[in-house]
Amino acid sequence: MMTTRLPNRLPRHLLLVVALAAAVPAGASNRLIAAGGRVSIARTPLTVTPASEWNRLGARPGRNAEVWTLDGDTLNALTFYAAIGEGKTLFRQADRREHPLPPVNRTMLLTDIPTLLENSYRSALGVATMTIDHVEPTPFAGAGGVHFSYSFVRPEEAIHVRGEGFGTLRDGKLYLITYEAPALYYFERSAAAARQVAESARLD
Amino acid sequence: MCRLIVPLLAAALCAAPVQAARETLPLPPFTTAYQPTTVDERGLWMEADEDERRMRDAPEVIRDPALNAYAREVLCRTVGPARCAAIRLYIVRIPMFNATTYANGMMTLWSGALLRLHSEAELAAMFGHEFSHFELRHTLTGFQRRRSGSDLLAWAGLLGAGGIALPTMVVGGFYRFSRAQEAAADMLGFRYLTAAGYVVTAPADLWTRVMAEQDATEIGRYRKPNQRYVAGFFDTHPTELTRATYLRAAAAQIGGGGVDEAARFRAAIAPWLPRLLGDQIKRNDFGGSEYLLNQLAVDGWTTPLLFARGELYRERGNPRDLSAAAGFYREAIAHGDAPAEAYRGLGLALLRSGQVEAGKAALRDYLARRADAGDAAMIATLIAG
Repeated sequence: MMTTRLPNRLPRHLLLVVALAAAVPAGASNRLIAAGGRVSIARTPLTVTPASEWNRLGARPGRNAEVWTLDGDTLNALTFYAAIGEGKTLFRQADRREHPLPPVNRTMLLTDIPTLLENSYRSALGVATMTIDHVEPTPFAGAGGVHFSYSFVRPEEAIHVRGEGFGTLRDGKLYLITYEAPALYYFERSAAAARQVAESARLD
Repeated sequence: MCRLIVPLLAAALCAAPVQAARETLPLPPFTTAYQPTTVDERGLWMEADEDERRMRDAPEVIRDPALNAYAREVLCRTVGPARCAAIRLYIVRIPMFNATTYANGMMTLWSGALLRLHSEAELAAMFGHEFSHFELRHTLTGFQRRRSGSDLLAWAGLLGAGGIALPTMVVGGFYRFSRAQEAAADMLGFRYLTAAGYVVTAPADLWTRVMAEQDATEIGRYRKPNQRYVAGFFDTHPTELTRATYLRAAAAQIGGGGVDEAARFRAAIAPWLPRLLGDQIKRNDFGGSEYLLNQLAVDGWTTPLLFARGELYRERGNPRDLSAAAGFYREAIAHGDAPAEAYRGLGLALLRSGQVEAGKAALRDYLARRADAGDAAMIATLIAG
Protein backbone atom coordinates (compact mmCIF):
# COMPACT_ATOMS: atom_id res chain seq x y z
CA MET A 1 0.00 0.00 0.00
CA MET A 2 1.37 3.41 -0.93
CA THR A 3 0.19 6.58 0.75
CA THR A 4 0.20 10.26 -0.12
CA ARG A 5 2.05 11.15 3.05
CA LEU A 6 3.59 9.70 6.13
CA PRO A 7 0.52 8.31 7.86
CA ASN A 8 -0.27 9.43 11.37
CA ARG A 9 -0.02 6.48 13.63
CA LEU A 10 -3.53 5.17 14.06
CA PRO A 11 -4.22 3.13 17.12
CA ARG A 12 -5.93 0.10 15.73
CA HIS A 13 -6.90 -2.03 18.62
CA LEU A 14 -9.37 -1.76 21.35
CA LEU A 15 -8.69 0.56 24.13
CA LEU A 16 -8.19 -2.29 26.50
CA VAL A 17 -5.61 -3.97 24.37
CA VAL A 18 -3.72 -0.69 24.28
CA ALA A 19 -4.08 -0.33 28.01
CA LEU A 20 -2.94 -3.88 28.54
CA ALA A 21 0.20 -3.31 26.55
CA ALA A 22 0.80 0.03 28.25
CA ALA A 23 0.92 -1.10 31.83
CA VAL A 24 -0.14 -4.23 33.53
CA PRO A 25 1.03 -4.06 37.10
CA ALA A 26 3.12 -7.06 38.06
CA GLY A 27 0.96 -9.63 39.74
CA ALA A 28 -2.29 -8.09 38.53
CA SER A 29 -4.82 -10.80 37.97
CA ASN A 30 -8.45 -11.15 37.08
CA ARG A 31 -10.77 -11.70 40.03
CA LEU A 32 -14.26 -12.98 40.49
CA ILE A 33 -16.72 -10.43 41.85
CA ALA A 34 -19.27 -12.30 43.95
CA ALA A 35 -22.96 -11.47 43.73
CA GLY A 36 -24.64 -9.47 46.46
CA GLY A 37 -21.67 -7.76 48.10
CA ARG A 38 -20.89 -4.04 48.03
CA VAL A 39 -17.76 -3.42 46.01
CA SER A 40 -15.59 -0.32 45.97
CA ILE A 41 -14.40 0.82 42.54
CA ALA A 42 -10.68 1.55 42.11
CA ARG A 43 -10.36 2.54 45.80
CA THR A 44 -12.66 5.52 45.36
CA PRO A 45 -15.90 6.45 47.16
CA LEU A 46 -17.87 4.89 44.29
CA THR A 47 -19.43 1.55 45.27
CA VAL A 48 -21.77 -0.84 43.49
CA THR A 49 -23.68 -3.97 44.49
CA PRO A 50 -23.87 -6.49 41.65
CA ALA A 51 -26.78 -8.93 41.77
CA SER A 52 -24.88 -11.47 39.69
CA GLU A 53 -21.28 -12.58 39.33
CA TRP A 54 -18.80 -10.62 37.21
CA ASN A 55 -15.10 -10.89 36.47
CA ARG A 56 -12.87 -7.93 37.22
CA LEU A 57 -9.93 -7.66 34.82
CA GLY A 58 -6.50 -7.14 36.31
CA ALA A 59 -5.56 -4.76 33.49
CA ARG A 60 -7.07 -1.35 34.04
CA PRO A 61 -7.67 1.26 31.36
CA GLY A 62 -6.55 4.01 33.74
CA ARG A 63 -5.59 4.74 37.33
CA ASN A 64 -9.17 5.45 38.40
CA ALA A 65 -10.86 2.95 36.15
CA GLU A 66 -11.57 -0.75 36.04
CA VAL A 67 -13.29 -3.20 33.72
CA TRP A 68 -15.68 -6.00 34.55
CA THR A 69 -16.77 -8.60 32.05
CA LEU A 70 -18.72 -11.83 31.69
CA ASP A 71 -17.22 -13.42 28.58
CA GLY A 72 -14.16 -11.25 27.85
CA ASP A 73 -13.90 -7.51 27.33
CA THR A 74 -14.48 -7.64 23.57
CA LEU A 75 -17.82 -9.39 24.11
CA ASN A 76 -19.11 -7.43 27.07
CA ALA A 77 -17.32 -4.76 29.05
CA LEU A 78 -18.64 -2.90 32.05
CA THR A 79 -16.20 -0.06 32.58
CA PHE A 80 -16.06 2.19 35.63
CA TYR A 81 -14.43 5.61 35.63
CA ALA A 82 -14.42 6.95 39.18
CA ALA A 83 -13.46 10.37 40.53
CA ILE A 84 -11.72 11.64 37.40
CA GLY A 85 -10.62 15.15 38.34
CA GLU A 86 -9.90 18.38 36.51
CA GLY A 87 -7.32 18.01 33.75
CA LYS A 88 -7.35 14.19 33.89
CA THR A 89 -8.34 11.99 30.97
CA LEU A 90 -10.86 9.17 31.08
CA PHE A 91 -8.28 6.50 30.46
CA ARG A 92 -4.54 6.19 30.02
CA GLN A 93 -3.19 7.98 26.96
CA ALA A 94 -1.66 5.51 24.53
CA ASP A 95 -0.29 8.20 22.25
CA ARG A 96 -0.12 11.51 24.06
CA ARG A 97 1.79 13.21 21.27
CA GLU A 98 -0.29 12.35 18.20
CA HIS A 99 -3.65 11.55 19.74
CA PRO A 100 -4.00 13.29 23.10
CA LEU A 101 -7.29 12.69 24.91
CA PRO A 102 -9.62 15.48 26.03
CA PRO A 103 -9.42 16.20 29.77
CA VAL A 104 -12.20 16.60 32.33
CA ASN A 105 -13.08 20.21 33.05
CA ARG A 106 -14.58 21.48 36.33
CA THR A 107 -17.22 23.53 34.56
CA MET A 108 -18.49 20.58 32.51
CA LEU A 109 -22.23 20.08 32.34
CA LEU A 110 -23.89 16.68 32.42
CA THR A 111 -24.46 17.00 28.67
CA ASP A 112 -20.69 17.21 28.17
CA ILE A 113 -20.13 13.69 29.56
CA PRO A 114 -21.27 11.86 26.40
CA THR A 115 -19.19 14.27 24.30
CA LEU A 116 -16.12 13.58 26.44
CA LEU A 117 -16.54 9.83 25.95
CA GLU A 118 -17.13 10.25 22.21
CA ASN A 119 -14.09 12.46 21.67
CA SER A 120 -11.90 10.20 23.80
CA TYR A 121 -12.92 7.18 21.73
CA ARG A 122 -12.44 9.02 18.46
CA SER A 123 -8.92 10.01 19.51
CA ALA A 124 -7.94 6.69 21.07
CA LEU A 125 -9.51 4.27 18.61
CA GLY A 126 -9.31 6.35 15.47
CA VAL A 127 -13.03 5.81 14.88
CA ALA A 128 -14.93 8.38 12.86
CA THR A 129 -18.18 6.49 12.98
CA MET A 130 -19.17 6.93 16.61
CA THR A 131 -22.53 8.44 17.40
CA ILE A 132 -24.28 9.39 20.62
CA ASP A 133 -27.83 8.26 20.02
CA HIS A 134 -29.95 9.17 23.01
CA VAL A 135 -29.31 11.34 26.06
CA GLU A 136 -31.69 11.56 29.02
CA PRO A 137 -31.62 12.52 32.68
CA THR A 138 -31.43 9.77 35.26
CA PRO A 139 -30.79 9.49 38.97
CA PHE A 140 -27.29 8.09 39.36
CA ALA A 141 -25.24 7.40 42.50
CA GLY A 142 -27.70 9.30 44.65
CA ALA A 143 -27.76 12.46 42.54
CA GLY A 144 -28.87 13.78 39.18
CA GLY A 145 -27.03 12.12 36.33
CA VAL A 146 -27.08 11.44 32.64
CA HIS A 147 -27.95 8.22 30.85
CA PHE A 148 -26.99 7.89 27.20
CA SER A 149 -26.67 5.31 24.48
CA TYR A 150 -24.04 5.22 21.77
CA SER A 151 -22.73 3.07 18.99
CA PHE A 152 -19.56 2.77 17.00
CA VAL A 153 -17.73 0.40 14.70
CA ARG A 154 -14.49 -1.13 15.84
CA PRO A 155 -11.91 -0.20 13.23
CA GLU A 156 -10.41 -3.04 11.19
CA GLU A 157 -13.04 -5.47 12.45
CA ALA A 158 -16.29 -3.98 11.15
CA ILE A 159 -18.00 -4.99 14.38
CA HIS A 160 -20.92 -2.80 15.39
CA VAL A 161 -20.73 -2.09 19.09
CA ARG A 162 -23.58 -0.67 21.16
CA GLY A 163 -22.98 1.09 24.42
CA GLU A 164 -24.77 2.70 27.31
CA GLY A 165 -23.40 5.17 29.81
CA PHE A 166 -24.47 6.37 33.25
CA GLY A 167 -22.59 9.40 34.50
CA THR A 168 -22.60 12.24 36.95
CA LEU A 169 -20.38 15.03 38.27
CA ARG A 170 -19.70 15.44 41.97
CA ASP A 171 -17.37 18.16 43.35
CA GLY A 172 -15.94 18.74 39.87
CA LYS A 173 -15.07 15.05 39.47
CA LEU A 174 -16.51 12.71 36.91
CA TYR A 175 -18.12 9.35 37.70
CA LEU A 176 -19.10 7.25 34.71
CA ILE A 177 -20.11 3.64 34.14
CA THR A 178 -20.31 2.36 30.58
CA TYR A 179 -21.50 -0.96 29.28
CA GLU A 180 -20.66 -1.99 25.74
CA ALA A 181 -20.96 -5.14 23.68
CA PRO A 182 -21.35 -6.17 20.02
CA ALA A 183 -24.79 -5.10 18.82
CA LEU A 184 -25.37 -8.60 17.53
CA TYR A 185 -26.62 -10.87 20.35
CA TYR A 186 -24.21 -9.88 23.14
CA PHE A 187 -25.49 -6.40 23.94
CA GLU A 188 -29.04 -7.45 24.76
CA ARG A 189 -27.95 -10.60 26.52
CA SER A 190 -26.10 -8.85 29.35
CA ALA A 191 -27.65 -5.36 29.24
CA ALA A 192 -30.00 -6.03 32.18
CA ALA A 193 -27.19 -7.27 34.43
CA ALA A 194 -25.06 -4.26 33.50
CA ARG A 195 -27.88 -1.77 34.14
CA GLN A 196 -28.51 -3.35 37.52
CA VAL A 197 -24.88 -2.71 38.51
CA ALA A 198 -25.04 0.89 37.28
CA GLU A 199 -28.29 1.52 39.12
CA SER A 200 -26.82 0.14 42.35
CA ALA A 201 -24.02 2.76 42.31
CA ARG A 202 -23.55 4.87 45.43
CA LEU A 203 -21.17 7.66 46.35
CA ASP A 204 -20.39 7.59 50.04
CA MET B 1 36.67 -12.36 0.99
CA CYS B 2 33.82 -11.21 3.11
CA ARG B 3 34.76 -7.65 2.35
CA LEU B 4 34.43 -8.43 -1.33
CA ILE B 5 31.07 -10.18 -0.98
CA VAL B 6 29.32 -7.31 0.70
CA PRO B 7 29.72 -4.73 -2.08
CA LEU B 8 28.85 -7.36 -4.67
CA LEU B 9 25.69 -8.30 -2.83
CA ALA B 10 24.85 -4.65 -2.36
CA ALA B 11 25.28 -3.98 -6.06
CA ALA B 12 23.03 -6.92 -6.88
CA LEU B 13 20.46 -5.60 -4.45
CA CYS B 14 20.31 -2.22 -6.17
CA ALA B 15 20.03 -3.58 -9.68
CA ALA B 16 17.87 -6.68 -9.36
CA PRO B 17 14.31 -5.52 -8.66
CA VAL B 18 14.17 -2.86 -11.33
CA GLN B 19 15.56 -5.14 -14.00
CA ALA B 20 13.23 -7.96 -13.03
CA ALA B 21 10.25 -5.65 -13.26
CA ARG B 22 11.29 -4.46 -16.71
CA GLU B 23 11.98 -7.87 -18.12
CA THR B 24 8.92 -9.74 -17.00
CA LEU B 25 6.16 -7.14 -16.85
CA PRO B 26 5.70 -5.76 -20.34
CA LEU B 27 2.14 -4.47 -19.91
CA PRO B 28 1.24 -1.51 -17.74
CA PRO B 29 -1.03 -2.51 -14.82
CA PHE B 30 -3.90 -0.33 -16.05
CA THR B 31 -4.35 -2.40 -19.22
CA THR B 32 -7.94 -3.66 -19.50
CA ALA B 33 -8.43 -6.85 -17.46
CA TYR B 34 -4.72 -6.92 -16.64
CA GLN B 35 -3.63 -10.09 -14.88
CA PRO B 36 -0.55 -10.03 -12.66
CA THR B 37 2.21 -12.03 -14.26
CA THR B 38 5.08 -12.83 -11.92
CA VAL B 39 4.83 -14.74 -8.67
CA ASP B 40 5.57 -11.58 -6.68
CA GLU B 41 2.96 -9.54 -8.46
CA ARG B 42 0.34 -12.29 -8.16
CA GLY B 43 0.98 -12.52 -4.44
CA LEU B 44 0.65 -8.79 -3.89
CA TRP B 45 -2.52 -8.60 -5.96
CA MET B 46 -3.99 -11.47 -4.00
CA GLU B 47 -3.32 -9.65 -0.73
CA ALA B 48 -4.70 -6.42 -2.13
CA ASP B 49 -7.82 -8.28 -3.35
CA GLU B 50 -8.35 -9.53 0.18
CA ASP B 51 -8.01 -5.99 1.57
CA GLU B 52 -10.42 -4.77 -1.07
CA ARG B 53 -13.07 -7.36 -0.23
CA ARG B 54 -13.01 -5.99 3.31
CA MET B 55 -13.00 -2.39 2.12
CA ARG B 56 -15.94 -2.94 -0.22
CA ASP B 57 -18.21 -3.79 2.72
CA ALA B 58 -16.56 -1.57 5.34
CA PRO B 59 -18.96 0.67 7.26
CA GLU B 60 -16.54 3.60 7.17
CA VAL B 61 -16.77 3.91 3.37
CA ILE B 62 -18.81 6.92 2.25
CA ARG B 63 -21.37 5.64 -0.24
CA ASP B 64 -22.92 8.98 -1.26
CA PRO B 65 -23.37 8.54 -5.05
CA ALA B 66 -22.97 12.25 -5.84
CA LEU B 67 -19.70 12.63 -3.94
CA ASN B 68 -18.33 9.40 -5.40
CA ALA B 69 -19.33 10.39 -8.92
CA TYR B 70 -17.61 13.75 -8.52
CA ALA B 71 -14.38 12.25 -7.16
CA ARG B 72 -14.34 9.68 -9.95
CA GLU B 73 -14.90 12.38 -12.56
CA VAL B 74 -11.88 14.31 -11.26
CA LEU B 75 -9.78 11.14 -11.23
CA CYS B 76 -10.73 10.35 -14.83
CA ARG B 77 -10.10 13.89 -15.97
CA THR B 78 -6.67 13.78 -14.34
CA VAL B 79 -5.34 10.47 -15.65
CA GLY B 80 -7.60 9.97 -18.68
CA PRO B 81 -10.53 7.59 -19.19
CA ALA B 82 -8.44 4.56 -20.21
CA ARG B 83 -6.31 4.67 -17.08
CA CYS B 84 -9.04 5.55 -14.59
CA ALA B 85 -11.07 2.50 -15.65
CA ALA B 86 -8.48 0.38 -13.82
CA ILE B 87 -9.08 2.13 -10.48
CA ARG B 88 -11.72 1.42 -7.84
CA LEU B 89 -11.97 4.47 -5.61
CA TYR B 90 -13.24 4.31 -2.02
CA ILE B 91 -13.82 7.49 -0.02
CA VAL B 92 -13.23 6.52 3.59
CA ARG B 93 -14.44 8.43 6.63
CA ILE B 94 -11.14 9.03 8.42
CA PRO B 95 -10.70 12.66 9.51
CA MET B 96 -7.05 12.95 8.51
CA PHE B 97 -5.23 14.03 5.39
CA ASN B 98 -4.17 11.05 3.32
CA ALA B 99 -4.92 8.73 0.40
CA THR B 100 -3.67 5.23 -0.34
CA THR B 101 -3.07 3.02 -3.38
CA TYR B 102 -2.88 -0.75 -3.48
CA ALA B 103 -1.10 -2.98 -6.00
CA ASN B 104 -4.37 -4.10 -7.63
CA GLY B 105 -5.72 -0.64 -8.41
CA MET B 106 -7.74 -0.03 -5.25
CA MET B 107 -7.44 3.57 -4.17
CA THR B 108 -8.75 5.17 -0.98
CA LEU B 109 -9.25 8.86 -0.33
CA TRP B 110 -9.65 9.86 3.32
CA SER B 111 -12.46 12.25 4.19
CA GLY B 112 -10.00 14.46 6.08
CA ALA B 113 -8.38 15.25 2.72
CA LEU B 114 -11.66 16.68 1.40
CA LEU B 115 -11.69 19.16 4.27
CA ARG B 116 -8.11 20.26 3.61
CA LEU B 117 -8.20 20.60 -0.17
CA HIS B 118 -9.20 23.97 -1.56
CA SER B 119 -9.79 23.16 -5.19
CA GLU B 120 -10.37 20.45 -7.73
CA ALA B 121 -6.80 21.01 -8.92
CA GLU B 122 -5.50 19.96 -5.49
CA LEU B 123 -7.69 16.87 -5.53
CA ALA B 124 -6.34 16.10 -8.99
CA ALA B 125 -2.80 16.48 -7.63
CA MET B 126 -3.54 13.84 -4.98
CA PHE B 127 -5.09 11.50 -7.52
CA GLY B 128 -2.19 12.01 -9.93
CA HIS B 129 0.30 11.11 -7.20
CA GLU B 130 -1.64 8.02 -6.12
CA PHE B 131 -2.22 6.81 -9.67
CA SER B 132 1.50 7.15 -10.35
CA HIS B 133 2.22 4.70 -7.53
CA PHE B 134 -0.10 2.23 -9.29
CA GLU B 135 1.28 2.84 -12.75
CA LEU B 136 4.90 2.60 -11.62
CA ARG B 137 4.15 -0.59 -9.61
CA HIS B 138 5.65 0.92 -6.48
CA THR B 139 4.13 -1.66 -4.16
CA LEU B 140 5.81 -4.42 -6.16
CA THR B 141 9.23 -2.80 -6.51
CA GLY B 142 9.17 -1.74 -2.85
CA PHE B 143 8.38 -5.30 -1.80
CA GLN B 144 11.16 -6.71 -3.98
CA ARG B 145 13.58 -4.18 -2.58
CA ARG B 146 12.72 -5.16 0.99
CA ARG B 147 13.06 -8.85 0.20
CA SER B 148 16.42 -8.37 -1.52
CA GLY B 149 17.58 -6.46 1.53
CA SER B 150 16.53 -9.15 3.94
CA ASP B 151 18.08 -11.85 1.69
CA LEU B 152 21.30 -9.93 1.70
CA LEU B 153 21.29 -9.60 5.46
CA ALA B 154 20.56 -13.32 5.85
CA TRP B 155 23.50 -14.23 3.62
CA ALA B 156 25.75 -11.74 5.32
CA GLY B 157 24.75 -13.17 8.68
CA LEU B 158 25.59 -16.66 7.45
CA LEU B 159 28.98 -15.55 6.19
CA GLY B 160 29.62 -13.49 9.28
CA ALA B 161 30.09 -10.34 7.24
CA GLY B 162 28.91 -6.79 7.52
CA GLY B 163 28.89 -6.04 11.24
CA ILE B 164 26.63 -3.12 12.12
CA ALA B 165 27.38 -1.18 8.94
CA LEU B 166 25.62 -3.52 6.53
CA PRO B 167 22.21 -3.64 8.24
CA THR B 168 22.36 0.13 8.58
CA MET B 169 23.11 0.48 4.90
CA VAL B 170 20.40 -1.96 3.83
CA VAL B 171 17.68 -0.55 6.07
CA GLY B 172 18.65 3.02 5.24
CA GLY B 173 18.67 2.04 1.57
CA PHE B 174 15.12 0.76 1.80
CA TYR B 175 13.78 3.97 3.30
CA ARG B 176 15.77 6.00 0.79
CA PHE B 177 14.23 3.89 -1.98
CA SER B 178 10.77 4.52 -0.57
CA ARG B 179 11.39 8.27 -0.53
CA ALA B 180 12.63 8.08 -4.12
CA GLN B 181 9.39 6.30 -5.07
CA GLU B 182 7.37 9.08 -3.46
CA ALA B 183 9.34 11.73 -5.31
CA ALA B 184 8.85 9.81 -8.58
CA ALA B 185 5.09 9.60 -7.92
CA ASP B 186 5.05 13.32 -7.15
CA MET B 187 6.70 14.15 -10.45
CA LEU B 188 4.64 11.81 -12.62
CA GLY B 189 1.52 13.04 -10.82
CA PHE B 190 2.62 16.56 -11.61
CA ARG B 191 2.77 15.67 -15.30
CA TYR B 192 -0.78 14.31 -15.16
CA LEU B 193 -1.92 17.50 -13.45
CA THR B 194 -0.32 19.63 -16.15
CA ALA B 195 -1.70 17.53 -18.99
CA ALA B 196 -5.21 17.72 -17.53
CA GLY B 197 -5.06 21.51 -17.62
CA TYR B 198 -5.15 22.14 -13.88
CA VAL B 199 -3.24 24.94 -12.23
CA VAL B 200 0.27 23.61 -11.69
CA THR B 201 1.01 25.26 -8.35
CA ALA B 202 -1.75 23.19 -6.70
CA PRO B 203 0.44 20.45 -5.14
CA ALA B 204 3.03 22.91 -3.80
CA ASP B 205 0.25 25.05 -2.28
CA LEU B 206 -1.24 21.96 -0.70
CA TRP B 207 1.98 20.87 0.99
CA THR B 208 2.63 24.39 2.22
CA ARG B 209 -0.75 24.40 3.98
CA VAL B 210 -0.19 20.91 5.38
CA MET B 211 2.99 22.20 7.03
CA ALA B 212 1.21 25.24 8.39
CA GLU B 213 -1.51 23.03 9.87
CA GLN B 214 1.08 20.81 11.54
CA ASP B 215 2.70 23.90 13.04
CA ALA B 216 -0.68 25.15 14.27
CA THR B 217 -1.38 21.76 15.88
CA GLU B 218 1.95 21.83 17.70
CA ILE B 219 1.47 25.40 18.90
CA GLY B 220 -2.08 24.58 20.01
CA ARG B 221 -0.60 21.79 22.16
CA TYR B 222 2.00 24.16 23.65
CA ARG B 223 4.87 22.60 21.76
CA LYS B 224 7.40 23.99 19.30
CA PRO B 225 6.62 23.56 15.60
CA ASN B 226 9.01 20.94 14.26
CA GLN B 227 9.17 21.15 10.49
CA ARG B 228 12.22 19.35 9.24
CA TYR B 229 14.36 20.25 6.26
CA VAL B 230 15.73 16.75 5.68
CA ALA B 231 13.96 13.41 5.88
CA GLY B 232 14.91 11.21 8.84
CA PHE B 233 16.57 7.81 8.49
CA PHE B 234 13.30 5.89 8.90
CA ASP B 235 11.03 8.24 6.92
CA THR B 236 9.15 6.61 4.06
CA HIS B 237 8.26 9.97 2.51
CA PRO B 238 10.31 13.11 1.76
CA THR B 239 9.56 15.96 4.15
CA GLU B 240 6.63 18.18 3.28
CA LEU B 241 9.07 21.05 2.83
CA THR B 242 11.14 19.10 0.30
CA ARG B 243 8.03 18.15 -1.65
CA ALA B 244 6.67 21.69 -1.64
CA THR B 245 10.05 22.96 -2.83
CA TYR B 246 10.58 20.65 -5.78
CA LEU B 247 6.93 20.84 -6.84
CA ARG B 248 7.10 24.64 -6.68
CA ALA B 249 10.26 24.57 -8.83
CA ALA B 250 8.56 22.28 -11.36
CA ALA B 251 5.55 24.62 -11.47
CA ALA B 252 7.83 27.61 -12.06
CA GLN B 253 9.33 25.87 -15.10
CA ILE B 254 5.89 25.30 -16.62
CA GLY B 255 4.72 28.84 -15.93
CA GLY B 256 1.15 29.97 -15.29
CA GLY B 257 -2.15 28.89 -16.73
CA GLY B 258 -4.53 26.11 -15.87
CA VAL B 259 -7.79 26.07 -13.97
CA ASP B 260 -8.30 25.36 -10.28
CA GLU B 261 -12.09 24.73 -10.34
CA ALA B 262 -12.29 25.81 -6.70
CA ALA B 263 -15.96 26.79 -6.86
CA ARG B 264 -16.89 23.45 -8.38
CA PHE B 265 -14.98 21.60 -5.68
CA ARG B 266 -16.64 23.59 -2.88
CA ALA B 267 -20.07 22.91 -4.36
CA ALA B 268 -19.35 19.19 -4.56
CA ILE B 269 -18.32 18.82 -0.92
CA ALA B 270 -20.83 21.35 0.47
CA PRO B 271 -23.38 18.67 1.51
CA TRP B 272 -20.62 16.91 3.46
CA LEU B 273 -18.98 19.98 4.95
CA PRO B 274 -20.87 19.97 8.29
CA ARG B 275 -20.01 16.28 8.87
CA LEU B 276 -16.38 16.73 7.85
CA LEU B 277 -16.11 19.72 10.18
CA GLY B 278 -17.78 17.77 12.99
CA ASP B 279 -15.28 14.92 12.60
CA GLN B 280 -12.39 17.38 12.69
CA ILE B 281 -13.66 19.27 15.76
CA LYS B 282 -13.90 16.01 17.71
CA ARG B 283 -10.23 15.20 17.10
CA ASN B 284 -9.16 17.23 20.11
CA ASP B 285 -6.76 19.29 17.98
CA PHE B 286 -7.61 22.90 18.76
CA GLY B 287 -4.71 24.56 16.93
CA GLY B 288 -5.02 22.50 13.76
CA SER B 289 -8.82 22.83 13.65
CA GLU B 290 -8.68 26.58 14.17
CA TYR B 291 -6.14 26.84 11.34
CA LEU B 292 -8.34 24.78 9.01
CA LEU B 293 -11.42 26.85 9.83
CA ASN B 294 -9.54 30.06 9.12
CA GLN B 295 -8.30 28.66 5.82
CA LEU B 296 -11.82 27.62 4.82
CA ALA B 297 -13.12 31.06 5.77
CA VAL B 298 -10.84 33.07 3.49
CA ASP B 299 -13.90 34.18 1.51
CA GLY B 300 -15.98 34.83 4.62
CA TRP B 301 -17.38 32.95 7.60
CA THR B 302 -20.30 30.85 6.45
CA THR B 303 -22.87 29.34 8.83
CA PRO B 304 -21.33 25.82 8.95
CA LEU B 305 -17.89 27.30 9.66
CA LEU B 306 -19.19 29.56 12.44
CA PHE B 307 -21.13 26.72 14.03
CA ALA B 308 -18.08 24.44 13.90
CA ARG B 309 -15.94 27.17 15.44
CA GLY B 310 -18.46 27.59 18.23
CA GLU B 311 -18.33 23.85 18.93
CA LEU B 312 -14.52 23.88 18.85
CA TYR B 313 -14.26 26.69 21.39
CA ARG B 314 -17.06 25.36 23.60
CA GLU B 315 -15.41 21.94 23.80
CA ARG B 316 -12.06 23.38 24.89
CA GLY B 317 -14.09 25.20 27.51
CA ASN B 318 -11.79 27.83 29.04
CA PRO B 319 -13.86 30.80 30.28
CA ARG B 320 -12.62 32.95 27.36
CA ASP B 321 -13.42 30.09 24.94
CA LEU B 322 -17.00 29.88 26.18
CA SER B 323 -17.44 33.59 25.67
CA ALA B 324 -15.97 33.37 22.15
CA ALA B 325 -18.10 30.31 21.38
CA ALA B 326 -21.29 32.16 22.33
CA GLY B 327 -20.26 34.91 19.91
CA PHE B 328 -19.72 32.45 17.05
CA TYR B 329 -23.08 30.75 17.66
CA ARG B 330 -24.81 34.15 17.69
CA GLU B 331 -23.14 35.08 14.40
CA ALA B 332 -24.23 31.78 12.87
CA ILE B 333 -27.79 32.31 14.10
CA ALA B 334 -27.76 35.85 12.68
CA HIS B 335 -27.14 34.35 9.23
CA GLY B 336 -30.64 32.89 9.39
CA ASP B 337 -29.81 29.38 8.23
CA ALA B 338 -28.14 27.98 11.34
CA PRO B 339 -28.94 24.42 12.45
CA ALA B 340 -31.00 24.02 15.62
CA GLU B 341 -27.84 22.74 17.31
CA ALA B 342 -26.45 26.31 17.17
CA TYR B 343 -29.08 27.29 19.78
CA ARG B 344 -28.10 24.26 21.84
CA GLY B 345 -24.41 25.21 21.70
CA LEU B 346 -25.21 28.82 22.57
CA GLY B 347 -27.33 27.76 25.54
CA LEU B 348 -24.73 25.35 26.90
CA ALA B 349 -21.89 27.85 26.44
CA LEU B 350 -23.88 30.52 28.27
CA LEU B 351 -24.82 28.13 31.09
CA ARG B 352 -21.18 27.21 31.59
CA SER B 353 -20.27 30.91 31.62
CA GLY B 354 -22.75 31.52 34.43
CA GLN B 355 -25.29 33.37 32.25
CA VAL B 356 -28.08 31.09 33.38
CA GLU B 357 -31.21 32.89 32.15
CA ALA B 358 -29.83 33.70 28.70
CA GLY B 359 -28.58 30.12 28.44
CA LYS B 360 -31.97 28.67 29.32
CA ALA B 361 -33.64 30.92 26.78
CA ALA B 362 -31.33 29.62 24.03
CA LEU B 363 -31.98 26.02 25.08
CA ARG B 364 -35.73 26.70 24.90
CA ASP B 365 -35.17 27.97 21.35
CA TYR B 366 -33.35 24.71 20.60
CA LEU B 367 -36.18 22.55 21.90
CA ALA B 368 -38.73 24.65 20.03
CA ARG B 369 -36.90 23.76 16.82
CA ARG B 370 -35.97 20.17 17.64
CA ALA B 371 -38.57 18.77 20.02
CA ASP B 372 -37.65 15.26 18.80
CA ALA B 373 -33.92 15.65 19.49
CA GLY B 374 -32.17 12.66 21.07
CA ASP B 375 -31.15 14.78 24.05
CA ALA B 376 -34.44 16.73 24.43
CA ALA B 377 -35.21 15.24 27.87
CA MET B 378 -31.72 16.07 29.17
CA ILE B 379 -31.86 19.63 27.86
CA ALA B 380 -35.30 20.06 29.43
CA THR B 381 -33.84 19.26 32.86
CA LEU B 382 -31.12 21.86 32.34
CA ILE B 383 -33.85 24.43 31.61
CA ALA B 384 -35.81 23.38 34.67
CA GLY B 385 -32.76 23.15 36.95
